[in-house]
Amino acid sequence: MLLEIKGLTKRFPGVLALEGVDFTAEAGEVHALVGANGAGKSTLMNLLSGVFRPTEGEILIDNRPVQLSSPGVAVSCGVSTVYQEFSSIPQLTVAQNIFLGREPCGKSGILSHKKMRSDARAILDKYNLDLDETSLVETLSVANLQLVEIARALSVDSRILILDEPTAVLSLPEQENLFRIIESLKQQGMLILYVSHRMEEIFSISDRVTVLRDGRKIDTVQTADISPQDIIRMMIGHDIDQSKGLKANSAGDTILEVSFKDRRRGFKVLEGEILGVAGLVGAGRTRLARKLIGLEADEDMDVILHGDKIDPKSPGHAIQHGIVYLTENRKYDGLFANLSVLKNTTASALERFSSYGFLQQKNERQAGTEILDRLHLVASSVDAPISDLSGGNQQKAIFGRALLCNPRVLICDEPTRGVDVGAKEEIYQLLLGLAEQGVAIIFISSEMKELFAAAHRLLVLHEGEIVEDLPTDQLTEEKVLQAATGTAA
Amino acid sequence: MSDRTGTVADNLQTRIWRWASSNAIWIVLALLFSVAALLSDAFLRPVYIFNIVRQAAPVGVAAIGVTLVMILGGVDLSVGAIISLTAVLTAVLMDGQVANIPLAVTFALAVGAFIGGINGVLIAYNRISPFILTLGMAVVITGITQIYSGGTARGIVSPGFREFFNFRIGGVVPVLALFFLGLALVGVRLQQTTKFCRNLYLIGSNPQAAELSGLHVKRITIIAYALSGLMGAMAGIALLARSGVSSTFAGRGLEFDVLAAVILGGTTFQGGRGGIGGTIAAVFVLLIAFNLVNIVGLDYNAQLIVKGAIIIIASSAYIYFKKVR
Repeated sequence: MLLEIKGLTKRFPGVLALEGVDFTAEAGEVHALVGANGAGKSTLMNLLSGVFRPTEGEILIDNRPVQLSSPGVAVSCGVSTVYQEFSSIPQLTVAQNIFLGREPCGKSGILSHKKMRSDARAILDKYNLDLDETSLVETLSVANLQLVEIARALSVDSRILILDEPTAVLSLPEQENLFRIIESLKQQGMLILYVSHRMEEIFSISDRVTVLRDGRKIDTVQTADISPQDIIRMMIGHDIDQSKGLKANSAGDTILEVSFKDRRRGFKVLEGEILGVAGLVGAGRTRLARKLIGLEADEDMDVILHGDKIDPKSPGHAIQHGIVYLTENRKYDGLFANLSVLKNTTASALERFSSYGFLQQKNERQAGTEILDRLHLVASSVDAPISDLSGGNQQKAIFGRALLCNPRVLICDEPTRGVDVGAKEEIYQLLLGLAEQGVAIIFISSEMKELFAAAHRLLVLHEGEIVEDLPTDQLTEEKVLQAATGTAA
Repeated sequence: MSDRTGTVADNLQTRIWRWASSNAIWIVLALLFSVAALLSDAFLRPVYIFNIVRQAAPVGVAAIGVTLVMILGGVDLSVGAIISLTAVLTAVLMDGQVANIPLAVTFALAVGAFIGGINGVLIAYNRISPFILTLGMAVVITGITQIYSGGTARGIVSPGFREFFNFRIGGVVPVLALFFLGLALVGVRLQQTTKFCRNLYLIGSNPQAAELSGLHVKRITIIAYALSGLMGAMAGIALLARSGVSSTFAGRGLEFDVLAAVILGGTTFQGGRGGIGGTIAAVFVLLIAFNLVNIVGLDYNAQLIVKGAIIIIASSAYIYFKKVR
């Protein structure tokens, strides 16, 4: 047995990411790891590549227990990983990137470029990778960039190669090329762990499939013995309670309508409606939101607000129209980390609190405090730095910022990410409350359960396009997942 | 602020640390002034103190402008060159005539603001690194100054110009010092009360979040750099008023004094923090240190060493204070 995993458990503060997972994989096998967002695929992958250490359980390679305590150790045990995000250095050549950190040197400690080039050539030839070892990486296409990463992974005599969503960035011919390479690696006796949620490719390339759900292994099956529908059923489980429609749909008139001049499908949102947006990572949910607030251009997209065509040029412009976006990435473009809770909360509404350019700080403080109280924000003072707060309370402050803009359409992108269970519940209640007041809410989420619990209607995105648009009570998690993975009948 | 279940009162020690670290430069200024007063009783004489204030005016005024762009997360290395250009320009336009003063001053201010505005437009729209851009701009302006002046100190300061700015009200406070202090006070006040300045802090703290929050990032960037240019021009006029003599290199190297003061005052390259108050205190710290070295009798080169050492020590102390917190 090349790889065996016994009772692997990983606990993060407050989260059980992986629970008692067992599985085995052989040399010369392509083994797919599938699961919905948050099922534990990434955690398992990170445990195998030495990024995380297991809380419990063990990993055996060649029937011998190994401690993969760091990525370096994992590599020396023969486990190499090609991540979705590439780590090559653009200014160096293919050969230099393959041997990054392990450059062959002469006796005097001076780099031997000649040996590096010939060694790189040997690796590229051995695995049929069609690359020129002397090209600069910055001149390569994304597909070739991936080949460099693969070559680097293979150059250390690895026996287990983990590929994380390798086709996410590839065109169809490039995918086929990748599959040919995978096939040849398999012939050479390598184990390939293929992490993906795309059904087509799992069925075209893998020998066996292991399905994860909520951090547990559901089953390992021969790919040939199973259908995509079976896998989707395993991914969501049979025991889903369809707690859909917490509330009656109180929706009123159409407030926002999006249509496309090309063949793409558009959509509408009604006043008081919570429109859920589902889709796998990379399906284009955030991009759709960014287009709505003018952060990205789409010439073929028409946005009609209350019957009037608008063309949001910037987030500020969108806010003036009442379209407010709540970021999925608090740290990157949400928080003003070194400023106070109050200044974070009022950032979008300063116009309201100023006259002739001067801030009316009393009004600002009163309105900010009021909204934060309504959101039950817990802080020593509204003047405390926002970085002192927990994730949930930071999220509330950013919610407060959006609410102070008096949104008519509120786009929440993963609003419950990184917040604890209690705060999550409060956020759902808040969204419901806003909807009751007639605000249209576009609720982007990767958590199927919360979409079914809170949304009146669901859009499902697949590869940048809307593939499903139905009231939640006419949908099942199974249908959504089929649409999201492109396997709908 | 009712119903805050998780209320945690900051204890006294944290509060003192916070106060001390956010006012560190004022503590340094007080200490340094005490040392200076012990070493030389000149530091206790109002006339001498206001001399220092007057001496500080050009760098101080320019530093106020640069503080604004650094809160925004930028930097302005072109102020030294703007000071030189506007000083020469003012002198040439005055041409020794009192009647020309208003035109000369207005025009110089407009030129400063215009150059700053160009800096701002290029930074806001082309996303050029402010460091490189304003450095390049400094070189360009220096060239323009040389061509315009023909490389010699041209222009004649009009009678009364120097005398007006150096006139001591009540025999003690020079008009120039009063201007500078007034500008500093107004700056500190506006910084706390205007929407514009709040926007500077927000953008400096996180430009992406500022954009998403609907702030007019580009517009504010341009205004901030224009203000920095305008203040640079004021500094040029102040320098001319202080010395009374036109020179083509009047502002050479001043951008580093300005930068040293701004950073020492707690407005770091990170953006989103610091303020005009700290900058003003730092300007005085540097100047008093300089005067002190002078009084002790060290020569100019030794003064440079002390000045550099103060910047290094103060910056290290600042980082240390932040870590302790």
